Amino acid sequence: MIGLGPRTLFKKEVRRFLRVPGQTVLSPLVTTSLYFLVFGFSLGTRLREVEGVPYARFIVPGLVMLGAITNSFLNTSSSVMVMKLQGTVIDLLVSPISYGEILAAFVGAAAVRGTLVGAVVWFVAACFTGFEVAHPLYAVLAVVLVAVTFGGLGFVTGIWARTFEQVNFFPTFVITPLTFLGGVFYSAAMLPGPLKALTLANPVYFMVDALRWGMLGRSHAGALPGLAIAAGLCAVSLGAAYGILRSGWRLRG
Amino acid sequence: MDSVVTLRGVTKRYGDFAALDGVDLDVPRGEIFALLGPNGAGKTTLISIVAGLVRATAGTTEVLGRDVVTDYRFTRRAVGLVPQEINFDPFFTVEETLVIQAGYFGVRLSRERLEEILVALDLESKRHANTRSLSGGMKRRLLIGKALVHEPKVLFLDEPTAGVDVQLRQALWAYVRTLRARGTTIVLTTHYLDEAEELADRVAVIAEGRILVVEEKERLLERYAGKTLRVALSAPAAELPRSLQALGARLEDGGTAVAVVAPPGASFGPALAALAEAGLPVRDVETSRMRLEDVFVTLLERGGKGRRP
Repeated sequence: MIGLGPRTLFKKEVRRFLRVPGQTVLSPLVTTSLYFLVFGFSLGTRLREVEGVPYARFIVPGLVMLGAITNSFLNTSSSVMVMKLQGTVIDLLVSPISYGEILAAFVGAAAVRGTLVGAVVWFVAACFTGFEVAHPLYAVLAVVLVAVTFGGLGFVTGIWARTFEQVNFFPTFVITPLTFLGGVFYSAAMLPGPLKALTLANPVYFMVDALRWGMLGRSHAGALPGLAIAAGLCAVSLGAAYGILRSGWRLRG
Repeated sequence: MDSVVTLRGVTKRYGDFAALDGVDLDVPRGEIFALLGPNGAGKTTLISIVAGLVRATAGTTEVLGRDVVTDYRFTRRAVGLVPQEINFDPFFTVEETLVIQAGYFGVRLSRERLEEILVALDLESKRHANTRSLSGGMKRRLLIGKALVHEPKVLFLDEPTAGVDVQLRQALWAYVRTLRARGTTIVLTTHYLDEAEELADRVAVIAEGRILVVEEKERLLERYAGKTLRVALSAPAAELPRSLQALGARLEDGGTAVAVVAPPGASFGPALAALAEAGLPVRDVETSRMRLEDVFVTLLERGGKGRRP
């Protein structure tokens, strides 16, 4: 039985991002839709098929993953940062909610936002490319696992950051390069040797690949490597977030 | 003594600096307890340790006999904290803020309790307003409301009336007294010594992380606050009789007034008898006692820490 405290925090975090849907849901929807329209249709007419599927369909899992990663990360990082700046983090720190419950509530809400944005992106793309999903459970598992992972990383970043510039550091210099070079728009099989090796060293590539397998039924490495990597990173991300929260670093005196 | 909050040997160090240095303190149940000290004395650190915001480097802190670290779920439900700095969540209304805060403490805020808090803090008309739109005074009242939603046994008010106008300050004082009457223990830090003098049952003076004195306010004033007897004469006197001089009396205002200063606890009886015996033409009599502010300064000067709270 989950206590009222963590449930309240979870609901509050979900309501927070639903209060500003233009910023939290519609904005990523427009951005990823534009990616889909520009890359999917302009390149789709030239590339035709990648890994046996039409290019416009091929990029949908990558765009879903891009939306899920970015939004789950931003939900926790911006919320923790705002609470620190506004001073409302005190309300949580003096409450009887445990560290594990605080983390679960924040990351749970981040996973909801990431999965919601991913679902909306998929729905819009599916209007153009079809609603068929090969392995729905694998697809949902991949998105939720990755959203939890990046929700945890966002939590750590929110605690670490002293300014919003620092909050933006991680998405700009780490998440965006990793996702854009993580097979969102291409398959590693299309790349020459060194670039292929670089792509295969990128964990996000396998996460996108796992989702591609779940949605399209075919991918470069299948579902398991991506799910295993996501599960491993998820454990590291949540472990780090819990450890930092428990230590009181940058939160408690 | 039935103690609600107990600190034993509590020390908080930041590197070489000791914000608190081996503090022992008992806060009795049902009192308004004022914690006074200069800036940087350790008042907020002490409160923060009890509330769970700051971890002590050494020592033990208990609320209602339970340790604030190992039994934090219990102690935090028993404590309400009104922090010094105003905070608000710009995503929510006044009512939502109170309901969320109660939820954090595992409490479903009933309609009746919500109404009571909104009325008591004069926020009823703002219940559906976004917290961002509130004035500074309203935000401070909302902070008090947030600290009360779970009906804490002990309420910590860290500078609750800083920057608050006189009318609101009086209203807050009245509400603090109401809470005490209901059995809530109040721990108050304040820059305004008249506030402590007006409200407190007991006073602790802290400086450089050490408690200098803890005393019932009236006994503290009796013990440290001297008093002055001032007698206005209808005709100037040239000299005081020896009996009055022996009691430390002096002539003031060109001989039209006699002033006698009595140390704490002493009586003016001998001075009044000497005055009557001397047959001086008395027009008026006035006594005054040193205020808490004077006692506070005296205590700090004795400790070599003479600064304002």
